[in-house]
Amino acid sequence: MTELNAEMKRELAAVRRRQASSVILMYGVLLSIATVLMGTFLFALMASIKKDPLEQPFQFWFEQINPVNWGTAWKLGRQGGQDAWWGGFGPGGDVTFYLSYAAPTTVELEDPQIEVPRRAPGTGMAAAVYRDFAADHLANFQVTREDGPNFEVTNELGVAEEWHQARWRVSFEHDNEGPWVERVPLYSLAPLTQVLVDSTLPPTQLERRGRVASWENITPGALGYVFNNYRRVFKESIDLNTGESLFVSWFKNSLFISFGRVALTLLLATTAGYALARLTFPGHRALFFLLLISMMIPVQVTFISNYLVIRDINLLNTPWAVIMVLVVSAQVLIMKQFFESVPREIEEAALMDGAGYFTTFYRIILPMSKPALITITIMAFQGAWNDFFWPLVLINSPTSAFALPVGLLSLRNAYGGAGDWSLILAGAFMSTVPVLILFMVFQRYIVDNPIASGSKE
Amino acid sequence: MKTRKTLLAAGIAMIAASLPTLANDVVRVSGWGGDNVVVVNTLINEVLVDELAAAGITVRYEPVEGDFAQILTNALSAGTAPDVFYVDSFWAYPVFQSGKIDPVSDDNMAIADELIPSLNEAFMHNGQLMGIAKDFNTLAVQYDLDVFDDAGVEPPNEDDDWNSFKSKLQQVQSNLDDVYGLCVVPDYARFAAFALATGWKPFNDEGHTLLDDRFREAFEFYVNLVDDGAAVLATDLGQGWTGGCFGNGDTAVAIEGAWMIGFLRDQAPNMYYSTTSIPKHPETGDRGNLVFTVSWSVATDSKVKDSAHTLVGLLTSPKAQQWVLESGLALPSLEALGDNAYFQEDNRESITSRVVFEGASNGQVEPFQFAQYGGDWKAIVDEALSAALLKERTIDDAIAFAQQRYDRLTGRQ
Repeated sequence: MTELNAEMKRELAAVRRRQASSVILMYGVLLSIATVLMGTFLFALMASIKKDPLEQPFQFWFEQINPVNWGTAWKLGRQGGQDAWWGGFGPGGDVTFYLSYAAPTTVELEDPQIEVPRRAPGTGMAAAVYRDFAADHLANFQVTREDGPNFEVTNELGVAEEWHQARWRVSFEHDNEGPWVERVPLYSLAPLTQVLVDSTLPPTQLERRGRVASWENITPGALGYVFNNYRRVFKESIDLNTGESLFVSWFKNSLFISFGRVALTLLLATTAGYALARLTFPGHRALFFLLLISMMIPVQVTFISNYLVIRDINLLNTPWAVIMVLVVSAQVLIMKQFFESVPREIEEAALMDGAGYFTTFYRIILPMSKPALITITIMAFQGAWNDFFWPLVLINSPTSAFALPVGLLSLRNAYGGAGDWSLILAGAFMSTVPVLILFMVFQRYIVDNPIASGSKE
Repeated sequence: MKTRKTLLAAGIAMIAASLPTLANDVVRVSGWGGDNVVVVNTLINEVLVDELAAAGITVRYEPVEGDFAQILTNALSAGTAPDVFYVDSFWAYPVFQSGKIDPVSDDNMAIADELIPSLNEAFMHNGQLMGIAKDFNTLAVQYDLDVFDDAGVEPPNEDDDWNSFKSKLQQVQSNLDDVYGLCVVPDYARFAAFALATGWKPFNDEGHTLLDDRFREAFEFYVNLVDDGAAVLATDLGQGWTGGCFGNGDTAVAIEGAWMIGFLRDQAPNMYYSTTSIPKHPETGDRGNLVFTVSWSVATDSKVKDSAHTLVGLLTSPKAQQWVLESGLALPSLEALGDNAYFQEDNRESITSRVVFEGASNGQVEPFQFAQYGGDWKAIVDEALSAALLKERTIDDAIAFAQQRYDRLTGRQ
């Protein structure tokens, strides 16, 4: 008996080990997949924050994700623009910034040439947007030097060298007359013999083969420091006539088009799917085959005729044109198949209670079709949100009427040529958010199916 | 010169002043987006507001993002084209050939006569001028003064010929570990600066392309820059154009146009650079260059054709062009503006603009267009350059193969 118990225990343990290893394997696989998918997502997010998303090799640790810099950016933002989050430089601004240089004691430590340059953007709409410059509104600009203690450095040859260092305190105020300015660039030119060893915020880039340390904005604020590219998307894509953000307009247009398409798709797919699934009428099968055939016609075949029709009914350059041009055959097919899987007994019970076709469809069948409806809603929304072809063909002007994918193309045209991909990446990343939210909110309904409990066999 | 400018301005003013009696026409204007939106928008809404009001013209500006040539072709076919739009010299031929473009009006011919002659050549079709050049670009050599200083090499200058230019690049590459002389691209749009300097022309009198000894000389020079230690392939630096390598500090020089000004303002705002002309051919002493230009053209089907032509006149008027020049956003097409004080300023952007402006009338200059063959013609020389640079073919093979393809393309027996 004892031996039998021991044997059973061994077997049970073996079974549990096998179960545990299967679970570990399964979780491992799922976690790997999630890591790959999330990794791509995180990679895109990190790239969209960087000043130079194309840098090779890709650095996973960079200044904008260093919490120490967030604190400094917060303080500088408050000093410059009274706004710790988004920074800037406005009336009341009083900024202090430090730079430290060091050099071997054999070399004189010269004062660097430090200035707030008048830096006008060169590409895209930024050239028209940024017309006020911090350099034009400075008061009490002062640079003072504080020499620090010497220290020892072991050079490349392994020989100890004595170095001296100094810290330059740069301070300035807003002239209290000019406007609020978003950026305060800073520039420091020093001889190649001395090295920048520290600064309040790390320089955005080193130029002129190490001679110049350059800061894009020394009063960024915490959010302005991390999400500058995102801010640029809103600030540097504006309607030059109205001053409104084009990105916001594109976002709204895409939402409108997507909701319109979803509504039209649901209306057509449910009614047509139900008719094909449940109603018998002459030509019923022929209609179904026509539907299938329509799925096989490439959009390029019909786009000229569609374009001309849309033009003739004066819908060009309106979102209605894009909403109207949709092919819902696949969605009709999905709904047809779904309705056919609904037990007829449920409809017959409704008919027995005196409900007509429409009441049965609207009150009984549709509420039961939530999973299929949500599936086609997501498909339709995603398709409409990401649709590039029709918005490109049907909406050419004004720029504020573009859908988001075409708007992103315009950002690429304006900035991509100059290698300024950070702003484009930030815009592209934001464009993925609605579809992500849609999936996250509705994913649990997709697997939920109430039909199984709808009838008892 | 001043008298001509005054007369021209007076003429434009008279035309504008004579138009208030016209109906208030809405003229649809289109071009590609990007930087151009800023230029055109400011011209319409700020610089030319009074002139447009006097002419009774309301402008509806519709910048197009994406493939402008494709969208314009669709719009011309569908009858939805704007009244006034850009035509790029590169794809101008099929658009002009379609009959959908109205030739430049008699009133605007006075403006055309004042433009740099090579710009008008780009928009001539069957003896008629089909558009007025709105702005243009040519090629020049941008060089990084810090790099040359660190390398102890004299920077490129106006007197350089191919040999001295190459020698300087070789010295830089040899003296500095982290910088190449130039990054080369398999692109006729850069190679032409050398090919045309030899006296070679893309088409002979019969309309055929002959890759003769002059072409071969330039081809060898360009391809061998890498092997001779003066250059690197742009793709080896992860770049697709010489400006990208230069902006990153990887090369001592770039061969680009005035578009480098805006690019460097953003990518390397503190770069200490200057610009000089394309080096001369050592024997002919000529420089080669391409003119990249775009016209304002009017649609034949426009219902407001008169106003459309008037608008083109205003957009290319001395006042508009003066503003375009001083904004630093583009180079004006008016020849007389070569004397403008902006060009004489001693800063890197004015110097770059001046050298690029002068490039349109300095040496062997051809428009960036290839008759009815367009991109098909360019693709052949680009592929030959690519094959030779990547060592997929010898120089002889690459040229021979390209010649065969040109013969087929142009119908040469």
